[in-house]
Amino acid sequence: MKICESHLQRFIGQNSDIKTLSKQLFQLGHENEIIDDILDIEITPNRGDCLSLLGLARDLNVLYETNCDLPIYEGDIQDFNLDFKNISKTCCPSICFLNISINELPNDYIPEVESYFRDLNIKKNNFFTDISNYVAYEIGQPTHCYDANMINGSITLSEEKINQKFLSLLDQEICLNEPSLIFRDDKDIINLAGIIGGKKTSCTSQTKNVIVESAYFNPESIIGKSTKYNINSEAAHKFERGVDPLMQEKALRRFIYLVQQHAEIENLKLYKDIEEKFNPVELDVNVMKINKILGTDIKEKEYLNILSKLGFKIDQKITIPSYRFDIKHQNDLAEEVARTIGYDDIKPIKFKPYIQVSAEDVKEKKIKQFLTNNGFYEVINMPFTKSSTENSVVIDNPLDVNRTAFRSELVDSLVMNLDFNERHQKDSIKLFEISNVYTHKKGLTYEKKLALLVSGKQGHNYKEFSMKLDKKYLIDLFKQIDFNCESFIKSVSREKITSKNKNPIYVFEINFDQLTKEEIPWETIKLNQEMNFISYKETSEYPSITRDISFSIENLSNLEKIENRLLGYKNENLKDSFIFDFYNNEKDKVIKLGFRFIFQSNLKTLTDKEVDDQINNIINLVKGESGVSVPGLF
Amino acid sequence: MSDSKKIIEPKLNFKKGSLHPINQVKDHIVNYFRSIGFAEISGPEIETEKYNFDMLNIKESHPARQMHDTFYVNNKAYVLRTHTSPVQIRGMLNNKPPISYVSSGKVYRKDDDATHLPMFHQIEGIYINKDVSFANLKSMIYEIITFIFGSDVDIRFRPSYFPFTEPSAEVDIKSKEGKWLEVLGCGIVNPIVLQNCNIDSNKFSGFAFGLGVERIAMLKYGINDIREFYKSNLDFLDQFK
Repeated sequence: MKICESHLQRFIGQNSDIKTLSKQLFQLGHENEIIDDILDIEITPNRGDCLSLLGLARDLNVLYETNCDLPIYEGDIQDFNLDFKNISKTCCPSICFLNISINELPNDYIPEVESYFRDLNIKKNNFFTDISNYVAYEIGQPTHCYDANMINGSITLSEEKINQKFLSLLDQEICLNEPSLIFRDDKDIINLAGIIGGKKTSCTSQTKNVIVESAYFNPESIIGKSTKYNINSEAAHKFERGVDPLMQEKALRRFIYLVQQHAEIENLKLYKDIEEKFNPVELDVNVMKINKILGTDIKEKEYLNILSKLGFKIDQKITIPSYRFDIKHQNDLAEEVARTIGYDDIKPIKFKPYIQVSAEDVKEKKIKQFLTNNGFYEVINMPFTKSSTENSVVIDNPLDVNRTAFRSELVDSLVMNLDFNERHQKDSIKLFEISNVYTHKKGLTYEKKLALLVSGKQGHNYKEFSMKLDKKYLIDLFKQIDFNCESFIKSVSREKITSKNKNPIYVFEINFDQLTKEEIPWETIKLNQEMNFISYKETSEYPSITRDISFSIENLSNLEKIENRLLGYKNENLKDSFIFDFYNNEKDKVIKLGFRFIFQSNLKTLTDKEVDDQINNIINLVKGESGVSVPGLF
Repeated sequence: MSDSKKIIEPKLNFKKGSLHPINQVKDHIVNYFRSIGFAEISGPEIETEKYNFDMLNIKESHPARQMHDTFYVNNKAYVLRTHTSPVQIRGMLNNKPPISYVSSGKVYRKDDDATHLPMFHQIEGIYINKDVSFANLKSMIYEIITFIFGSDVDIRFRPSYFPFTEPSAEVDIKSKEGKWLEVLGCGIVNPIVLQNCNIDSNKFSGFAFGLGVERIAMLKYGINDIREFYKSNLDFLDQFK
């Protein structure tokens, strides 16, 4: 909610700069941002009472002596003989209609109304709608103005399930298709209650005779509708969070007062259908309880002073004002006290916690350790899929058509991960995921699964580089922990994969509990639970360039030195380097080493020349060493 | 024999893989809570409205219950849990105080843009005993923040609103650039929630707190885009060894 600081200052009555106000509102729980002289305030959903200048002023009264008594029209008003039927009393227990007509439309607005439109850069509509909008901004009660001459006969309020189009006063065509609270006249729908009025009965710049509706709608009857119909409605925002159930007539009397400031009133009539009973919440005066909740030592006088300044009536009991519908029990009062003194001013108190122990799920951690030790990367995938079976858990309100069900297996996600990485030039892919999957057979069931996928080269070293990740690899791998996984392994087709790679893909998926029941020598897998927070570097979206260079080394004692020098070369664009080929020609006493260097920039696609320059730098590191040569170069 | 072997063979480097950074951060924090006496509990990701909302004092009119915020499944029979709090409810229903639980896992919200994902991870803790106060909660929060971000970080508490805690607070830490960053939500367990779980709120009180794992991981690693965690990009994952 945006408010102008100078508008709020009118209630405060003493000078306070915007930064101080911002800080104080923040302390009271109203997170805000200063934009020039505007405060953009995020009001929490329980504080609908603060969605107005008056509401904020009432809260700030605990820190200032604010003036919250706005002048209203206090004269008698003739009864309005309106033919109104409220068929949804539970949705709308209180409603008033004011019939007001003026002799002439004003040319200008009084300064406080004018400044509302000017300072907040709000577009004016017509006189009555403008006053209505200003009243909502000022005191938080939305009102709706109908052009009285456009109403046909009686008005009815009812909750109806209809399939009908409705043209809003903003010329938006809305297809009503679910139970909605609507106002009708004898001919048509005239208002989507609490959300937006209709075009046919809306006021124009010529309207001089209006019926102003001021209602209390239960939040449950309004909530979600404006989002459903894609309507940006300030009124709905207020009604959804709750308005003061005793404010309806007062809002209309403020409306009259403001109209009076602009024009001569010709006709004034009021229809009231107000719930007679209002039982305010009453709570015990119990400062001990408050101190127990907060861990503070606040004196009763201070406690009562705070509540009194917030508008609570103090007598034998504490009576909660009608607009503070969020206050239900002592913990709520404790929060009132806490935010007034400031959360940061409550001193922390150390305590000796009750110790509870639980068995740690070491087996899952050990399986993960085993896999990462063997070069596997753990992934976490979103669980949504478009492929569903009769047993799938189906999402009623999916994000889109590709995410309509909960996945019942993990492998498909891993195949998508493979596709992504192959398209990013990865030639050795070992992935795993452990996650719950859900199905709906006879009721909802779930199981924890482990899935893994391998494809491409076994590794980036001279022993594994030429070997493929295949079924045998997986069988041998799991033999290390005495688990025969052969029957679980499947080959996956590349049909749905966009990558051009042709390496076979092998996967296996297993119920995790089943795996942990196997006789795995858990004690042989050592856990490393050390945590290092590395400094993350952004990944590149540009292609990598690979260069292979073959070195011959005749002086065998030089091997380690050459290896360290070449693999120790550092450059911001050198992403990886390793020995992919090694051949020891014992007869000629020559070693041949194949080095692979992978270059990639985070800023651009590297040119051949840029990579060649790096390769020259690398070669120069060993050029001139006795017995070292690069076939074709030196 | 072994010496000559060393000379004629280059080093054989076997590359290790890595655990997902989100799980690393999650385990790191959960292990801390275990070390100070919190028992780890878990619960289903597909929940009933009763456990996800009603028991937590989240009324029908709360925006979170709308179809645009929550995923409903199988003709509104269930919801994808929107937080890990229903796990605490199950924990409180199954045990009598004093209790100290920590739970972690995936949660779901109907949101998908540059800063929000439809699935993310939370860690929540709850502590119920006699005479537990907001001042005790503050002490606990200081310890958590110190464990995660170190002792030289500025912390501030500000009032907030969660239907299941009262008073409720959000906790911010100050970044090196002087900006306040929200890191966790917490509060005194609402007596209505205790009563819903058959715990005498006149005898017992408690606090609860919740952290977003992605948020913590982003701050700790300096990652700006939450979506990076779920691309399964090997260049990304390889950094978290």
